[in-house]
Order: sequence, then C-alpha cells, then structure tokens
Amino acid sequence: MSVLLDIKGLRKQFGGVTALSGIDLAINEGEILGVVGPNGSGKTTLFNVVTGVHKPTAGTVTWKGKDITGIPANQISRNGIGYTFQQAMAFPGLTVLENVQIATEHSAASARTDFAWPTPASLLDFVGIADLANEKAGILPFGSLRLLGLALALATRPSLLLLDEPAAGLNDRETAALVGLVQQFPAHGISVCVIDHDMKLMQMLCKRLAVLDFGSKIADGPTADVLHDPKVLEVYLGGEL
Amino acid sequence: MIKSVSSLRSLAPVLIVLLLLALVPLFSPSNRFLSLAISAGINIIALYGLSVLFGQTGILSMGHTALVGVGAYTAALLARDFDIGFWVSIPVAGIMAAIVAAIIGIPSLRVSGHHFVIMTFAFGQLMTIILTNGGDYTGGASGLDMGKPVTMFGADLDALPRFYLLVVAFVTISAVASWAIINSSYGRTLRAIRENEKLAAALGINVGRHKIGAFIVSGVFAGVSGVLLAYFLRHISPGQFASFPSIYLALMVMIGGARLLLGPLAGGILVSFLPEVLNLDPVQSRILYGVCLIAVILFLPNGLIAGIADGWTWLAKMSKRTPAAGNVPEAGR
Amino acid sequence: MDILLQQLLNGLSIASVITLIAVGVTLIFGLTGIINFAHGEFLMVGSIVTWLAVSNGIAFPLALILGVLAVALMGFVLERIIFRFTLERPTNGFIVSLGLIVVLQHIVILFWNANQKSIPRPLTTVWEIGGVRIASVRVMVILMTIAVVAMTYVMITRSRYGRALRASVEDRDTAALMGIPVRRYITGVFVLGSALAGLAGGLLIALFPITPFTGGTMVMKGFAVALIGGLGNLSGAVAAGLILGIVEGLSAGYGFSEWTDAYSFGLMILVLLFRPHGLFGGTSGPKMA
Repeated sequence: MSVLLDIKGLRKQFGGVTALSGIDLAINEGEILGVVGPNGSGKTTLFNVVTGVHKPTAGTVTWKGKDITGIPANQISRNGIGYTFQQAMAFPGLTVLENVQIATEHSAASARTDFAWPTPASLLDFVGIADLANEKAGILPFGSLRLLGLALALATRPSLLLLDEPAAGLNDRETAALVGLVQQFPAHGISVCVIDHDMKLMQMLCKRLAVLDFGSKIADGPTADVLHDPKVLEVYLGGEL
Repeated sequence: MIKSVSSLRSLAPVLIVLLLLALVPLFSPSNRFLSLAISAGINIIALYGLSVLFGQTGILSMGHTALVGVGAYTAALLARDFDIGFWVSIPVAGIMAAIVAAIIGIPSLRVSGHHFVIMTFAFGQLMTIILTNGGDYTGGASGLDMGKPVTMFGADLDALPRFYLLVVAFVTISAVASWAIINSSYGRTLRAIRENEKLAAALGINVGRHKIGAFIVSGVFAGVSGVLLAYFLRHISPGQFASFPSIYLALMVMIGGARLLLGPLAGGILVSFLPEVLNLDPVQSRILYGVCLIAVILFLPNGLIAGIADGWTWLAKMSKRTPAAGNVPEAGR
Repeated sequence: MDILLQQLLNGLSIASVITLIAVGVTLIFGLTGIINFAHGEFLMVGSIVTWLAVSNGIAFPLALILGVLAVALMGFVLERIIFRFTLERPTNGFIVSLGLIVVLQHIVILFWNANQKSIPRPLTTVWEIGGVRIASVRVMVILMTIAVVAMTYVMITRSRYGRALRASVEDRDTAALMGIPVRRYITGVFVLGSALAGLAGGLLIALFPITPFTGGTMVMKGFAVALIGGLGNLSGAVAAGLILGIVEGLSAGYGFSEWTDAYSFGLMILVLLFRPHGLFGGTSGPKMA
C-alpha cells in the first residue's frame, strides 16, 4: 500500500493557542482511515489546514510525493483531494442537477478517465437523489443535502475524500445508508479519511483509526487495537465505545 | 456551450420587445420621447453589465457609474486629441473601462463584505476628484465637449430617430451578450460563487479570479454605455459619474430584477418613463424613486418583474387552475 | 506661518463636525452592523431644523437642541420601520439607505427648495492672537464636540449600558441569552448616532451655509474617518478625525485645496487594504450568528 497523503510535523498556532502540536499522519491508498478525538482535540483544525483554509505554522503535507503544504483551497480539489464540510453545503438557489454540473465542470483537467461516475446523472443515481434533480438545493431535506454534498465532492473525481463529520445530523437509517456508500469507495479507487467523534460510526466504517487529543496524536493503528488502548480509553473516560 | 430550448426561450421575449422598440420611430414620436428612450437605452446597456456583476456573481459595486465615465471620457479625449470617431472609440473605451475595473476590483475584492461596498464607493468618488483636478487635459470641473458626429457608411446618425435605432442595436447586442454569459458554464460558475463561495473554492473554482473577471466584464458594458452617452449628450462633466449617480443605476437594476434577462430592460424603461407617465416634476420623481428602491429591497428583493411573475403564479394557483405557463422564463437561474 | 495656523484652526473646526459624524458612524456601523449611508442626510436635516428654528426667531441654543431631537426622533422612526429589517443582511440596509438619501434630499428640496440656507453666526467675536484670527464660533464648535464626544465615550466605556452594548457586539446570541435586550440596544445606538449627526448639522450651519446636498459630501468622510480609526473604536474615530482635520488644513494652507477630499478616500482605501481593523484597532463589524 503506498502512501497517498503524508502529513509530517504539522503545527498550527492561533496566537497563543496551539491547536495542532506536531501531527504525523499517513493516509494509505485504498483505505478508509478514521481520525477521532473529543471536541477541541484539533480534528477540525487538521482538516482546515489540509484543505487550505489555514496555513500551517510548521510541518509539511505531501500528496503523492508532491509538496502541497499551504496551497490555496481551490487547488486542493484540482490535485485530486475532494472534501465535504461539517455543515451541509450546497448552492441553495440552484437546482440539484446544476449543483453537480458545476462540480463536474471544475474537476481537474488531469482527472481520472477511469472514474466510476463520469456524468452528473450517474452521480445523482449513485447517492440516490436522482429524483430530486430539478429541485432547488435550498429546499432539500437535510439527509438529501448531505448526500448532495457527497455527490459534489465525488464530482471532482478525487483519489482521496476527506469527510468532516459526514453523518452529523443524520438519523440511524440515513447514517447506515451513508456508510454503505462510503464503503464502496476504495473499490473504485477512492481512498477515504473520515473525521468524527462518533465512535459507533468509526467502528462501522474504518479499519484503521488515529486518535487526537489536545492537538497531538495519541494512537494510530487497527481499529480494534486502538479501541483497547488505555490512553484512548482514558481520553474517552465515560464515553461509550 | 450547450444552448437548450429553454434557454432560447428566455431570450425570445427580450428580442421581441427590442424588435417592437425598433419600430417606434415609425410612429413619429416626439423628440422628448426619443431623448428619454435614448437615455433609458444607454442606462440599460450599463445595467446589463451590472446584472453580470450583481445578478450573477452577487457583487454590489458602487463604482459602476465611474466606469461609465471612463468610457465617456475615453471617447471625448479620443475625439479631441486623435480625431478618432465613434466606431473605434467603442472597443477602446471598453478596454479602458475594463482596465479601470480591474484596478478598482483587485484591491476591493481583498476586503470583506460590507467594507467592499464602501471601497467601491470611495474609488468612484476618487475618480471624480481626479477628473475634476485634471486641468485642461480632462477639462476640469466643467468637463469636455464631444466634437465629432456619429456616422455610419457616410450617413449621419446624429438625428434623434437614427441615434435611437443605434442605441436599440447596442442594447440588443448587450442583451444577447448577457444571455450568452448567463447560459454558459462561466455564468454557472459565477452563480456558484454567489450562492456559496466556500463551496465553490472547495470544488476547484478560483473565486478571486472569477470575481475580478466579472468586474472586468461589467466594465466593458459600462465603457460602451459611456461612449454612447458622450456622443448623445455632446458634453460630459465629472459630476455625472460620481458615486451617487450609482444609486440610480442600483435602483434600476433592483426594480427590474438583477437576475432576469428582461430585468435591466424593464428597470431602465420604468425608471425613465414613469415620471413622464405620472406627470411628476424631477423632485417628485426622485422621491418616488427613493421610496420605490426602499420598497423593492424590503418587499421584492428579486425585483419587480420577478415579483409580478410570482404574483401571477400565485394567482393562478389560487384560482385552482393548473399552473401552466405562468412563469416568466428565467435566464438560467 | 499665519496662514498655516489659520488654516489649521479652520481645519480643526470642520474636523470637529466630521468627528461627530464619524463617532455616530463608528457606533452604529461598528456596534450594530447597520450601514446607513443616509447618515449625511441626517446631518442635513439637523441643519435644516436648526435653520428653520432660527429663522422663526428661536435662539440658537434652543434651535440646536431642536435639531438634535428632531434627528433623534427621525432615527428612531427609521430604525423601527426600516432598518431593523435589514440587520441580517447589511447590504440590503446599505441599498435602503441609498434610497433614503434620495428621499430625504428631495423632500427637503420639495418644501424648502435647493438653495443655500444659512443662519447668522451665533457668536460673532473674533479674537486676534499673533496675526491669527480666531473666531469664537469655531472655538464653540470644537469645545462642544469635545464635550459631547467625551460624554459619549464615558457612557460607552464606563456605564452598564456601554458594557452590555460591547458584549452584544462580541456575541449577539450570548448577550441575548444573558438577558441583554439586544434589539432595544441596537435601536438605542442608532438613535444616539443619529442625534450626534443632528448635532453636527446644527453646528455646521453655525459655521457655513448648507444645501440639501451637503450631507452627501460629508458622509463619505465620516465613514472614512470611522473606518480609519477602527470601527466601534470611539477614541480611534476622534484620533482619526483629528489627523484628517490637520492634514486637510495643512493641504489647504499649502494651496492644494482641490485635493482635500482625496485624502480621506485615499487613506481609507489604504487602511481597508492593509489594516482593515483601522489604525487604532476596532471590530470589523458585529459577528452575526
């Protein structure tokens, strides 16, 4: 398994607050990695630094061997990294179909020609909202909005998908459906990194977990092992595993 | 660029209206009417530019009249110093206005939300000051005369009916250009930026570059409008292009509706002719304008035309008929 | 040298008026997010009311108070029926204020024509000190501005009201949760800012004749000063007003009076680009939910 995204020594300081203090993390090709941690552990900061919202104070991010540390947000997807946000994001005044069309039109020029869902229609079919194609995204029910967000990220033809709390706000049935979709990605050449604090979701989805706490990584390995790691248990004292 | 049947449908009403307007001179209208119509037309061209910037991209700029001024002054200076006439002035003025738009746009876009509007306002005022202090070169506070007539294939176009047709032609070109932009993937990208900038960037769109591009495009329309203005009024002065007159442009685009293809046309005509129809003097009509602007923002943020269309659809539903073709074809919303 | 000092003094009295506008703007824009470009017209209305009162035989001090009250009332009414609906979308508020500019200017023209209006100077003594003519009326304007701004400053920084107000800027929701009647405070700030504009108008007409269009020329400077000083930063606005007054006075003194207006705009553009929080630090506007 080759390393797709290699994060080394990543630090991020906001004034006097150290949100990330030297994170080393590697995302391998073909895997679904989970990054977990309680609120305030730096998960979202990590996400924001990798996706170009913030520039890191120190450290490097290497993508397929190429240094992409600090590149602006709009070049991230052009390099083949797609991502979805914590809040469900779409273009509310435009139809669902137009939303996906925009995403497809801006996928990287060097995008993969072997992509499993080459057309907007096929993407809508895959996530299951094809019947909503002509509705304005702004009136979509929340679950469908989340699926649209996923479709948009897929439309950029990524080799890696970063999902920030993708199931937040979804009920159990919707979460299971989402899990079903995400589990198919590695088989289609899309590696996944999910950031969340919902342990149940992570157990369902991820074979490997990295755990953050107060800006540092405290565990990294196969899910079952990590969940029995005493350091991790301490951090989640009182939490359900 | 794929033009679907429905997007052609949005162009049709506008073309029909313009065709009808082109026939107006056959009815021997008064000079006053023609003058008003020409003024409206010149504004409408600028408004189509504003609709790309504001309607599609969601950027409200108060520097638009300044860009019209760039076009006007370019035309006047070309005529005075280089004996260059109308037809060459058009592209040159378009380019000059595009450059100034970039100069205003690039710094302004680095500034957040509400500060941005103030920035563009300040730039507009600054331009007026520069023009006023330009001494003999720019004619100072009293401005410049336009020395040359407009001719086409040797025929003089200065007579009002002929100038009117010239303006209608340019309005048609503006409308078609605007339609082409709206229905292209470029237009879709601009709308994406308007709807959700952060998401647009996440999907690979270079938001900054596109915003400046929208600014520049709006500048081209404004520049062309300025040339026509200079040749129509035969005299221009800095005060006409200050930031406050931008208020009237904003009014027209709001009332007509910034996102519909018919919007600029409707807004420009309404604002020019309503005082005539209601027989109001300039002071009263301005009070009406102001009140209308406030009312439109508060109650019909999508503009009068969209409001009427919505009202129509609502009425149709209320009377329990099938809501058939009651929708005004929207330009690629 | 005399001319320079003369111009400096003149510049300072105008700067006082602009500072009053700027303080109003910095409070309203900085603390409530309402961009009221018609603020200049509020000043103009203050001038007109003062003028009307004086023309009808009312003494200047009372006329001034009437002007302030009239504009404060107008501000209250406008905030309640229009501006409060634009709190969530400041751009709409801005466009609405543009409409207001047109309406206010032309209502005044409708009733009292577009010509210059002036009142006899309320104080006519002129002191001559070392070749510089110091008009007492200018000194009055400067002193009144200092007094009013100082009172406003004390109220905003020391009183409970002021503290609650500044809390509302930081986090509107939390402030509301803590029982602060945010909406009412917003109205209050708007009325206060408007009153300051009214005062500025009354003082302005004591110095110079005004026209219905005077507001338009002053408002941009007021915004510029407020932004340069830092939004919501009262002392910043004062400092910026002072600086601008001196710069403009110097410029006029050295013969560059045509460019006077350009300084405020140019400086504001530079500040927005490189120090968007203003030279002396301020908010960039209230954080909306």
